[in-house]
Amino acid sequence: MDVQAMTTNDWLGVFFALVAAIGMVVTYVMVFRPSNKQNFEAQSRMALDDEDPTKLGEKR
Amino acid sequence: MEAKQATPVKYDMEVVRWFTIAAAIYACVGTLIGVYVASELAWPFLNFDLEWITFGRLRPLHTNAVIFAFGGCALMATGFYIVQRTGATKLWSNGLAWATFIGWNLIIVSAVITLPLGWTSGKEYAELEWPIDIAIAVVWLMYGFNYIMTIGIRKTSHIYVSNWFTMGMIVMITYLHVVNSMAIPVSMTNSFSIYSGVQDAMIQWWWGHNAVGFYLTGGFLAIMYYFVPKQAGRPVFSYRLSVLHFWALTFGYVWLGAHHLQYTALPDWTGSLGAAVSLAMIIPSWGGAMNGMMTLSGAWDRLRTDYILRFLVVALAFYAMSTFEGPVMSIKTVNALSHYTDWTVGHVHSGALGWMAMVAYGAMYHMIKKLWGVEKMYSEGLVNVHFWLATIGTVIYVVAMWVSGIMQGLMWRDYDEYGTLTYTFVESVSAMHPYYAMRAIGGLIFNIGTWIALYNIVMTVRTASSARSASAVPANA
Repeated sequence: MDVQAMTTNDWLGVFFALVAAIGMVVTYVMVFRPSNKQNFEAQSRMALDDEDPTKLGEKR
Repeated sequence: MEAKQATPVKYDMEVVRWFTIAAAIYACVGTLIGVYVASELAWPFLNFDLEWITFGRLRPLHTNAVIFAFGGCALMATGFYIVQRTGATKLWSNGLAWATFIGWNLIIVSAVITLPLGWTSGKEYAELEWPIDIAIAVVWLMYGFNYIMTIGIRKTSHIYVSNWFTMGMIVMITYLHVVNSMAIPVSMTNSFSIYSGVQDAMIQWWWGHNAVGFYLTGGFLAIMYYFVPKQAGRPVFSYRLSVLHFWALTFGYVWLGAHHLQYTALPDWTGSLGAAVSLAMIIPSWGGAMNGMMTLSGAWDRLRTDYILRFLVVALAFYAMSTFEGPVMSIKTVNALSHYTDWTVGHVHSGALGWMAMVAYGAMYHMIKKLWGVEKMYSEGLVNVHFWLATIGTVIYVVAMWVSGIMQGLMWRDYDEYGTLTYTFVESVSAMHPYYAMRAIGGLIFNIGTWIALYNIVMTVRTASSARSASAVPANA
């Protein structure tokens, strides 16, 4: 690889490719971490529970 | 412990009602124009030598009407509906929502006037001239700002996955629209792109494919993740998979545009990158489609009686099919056959009619019953008729274009023993005629379904309004 020949656009491309790749790895780890399973799956009824706002999970 | 009482939340739903009705009307008009332009290709005398109704002028009107008028109104109706209900809050600004409704419809009216007059920037799916492009950016930002501020005032701690998909669409479409529409105006009705050559082509398809990825896919996945569980009465099969689906599409889709430019002046590696990421996108797309389908686990029997659920499930089947077909078509070997042929048109319509329109109608039927407080549509039978017309019309359309496209590709690349082309271009055009007629018929069948839907929706609204007035009389007396 000719690093000297890399233009600003090339480096920007490398940066965004790395952001996307690292972002995907972080997402996979976060989603598949067993301790997070319950937290995520607790939201799966949210569309059903909106008939009664008191059931819509934790309040702010 | 004292049980909590359900606190009724007053939502701003009047604007949602108007967006829903507008979507139903634009679906009829947009697909009708599509049927007309398809018929012009099969029977060219329909141009009547009038420049305002030639294929070149009406085709962008058709695409703008179905994507931005029908699709846009459906997305804004469902977006405002979902964000309020899953956040247990009213809209941040009802006035801004109404301004969005009026602004969006004025843009549609301006498209109806300018495109037949030939005032176009010539960019696919972004044909409108610069003053209208600025108006689109302003109205879209109004929608986006209101949506995000409503998320900000929500009463729930979690932001439901549908809202993530909609916010992804809002952010990306703002960015894509503004960059793609950069132009040097020379008059109120004419402008030139600030990009040139391969950069112009690259920007065009960076916008073009991401309009598909974030607007026609991401926006409509927001609809899917709310209305499929709602209509099936079942929780999302895997919420974790839905999160992965969102982030994988968000990180991945923006890299695909160059696959539209295989075998052009664009550097070869950009097309290869586009194709490679397209193939990778099959995984989250199919994961999402399966997630939607599996949400019906234990409720499949409802498909016998629940016609709205049929729309949503068939939409998911078309979503899975289109998201497999697209990446396959991006592979250079396949692209060498499919590019510039009707296969692409068939692919686009399996997504637009089979996925986007079907999931939108499923959501619209669901919302209409809720918004007007009725148990059933005016005629549940007509919902079923609409479902079958939409499905059959889409299948006829797509099959016609598959056969036509593959035949075109094969005819164009056929050489005889002397190395000269076996067929002239006009011979391939002539061979397409039966399939162009078949496509127009498929489109017409789909279009008839939209008019039936509009009739059913109007009658449901009228019946609900009459019932409400009748019950209000004694109360007021």
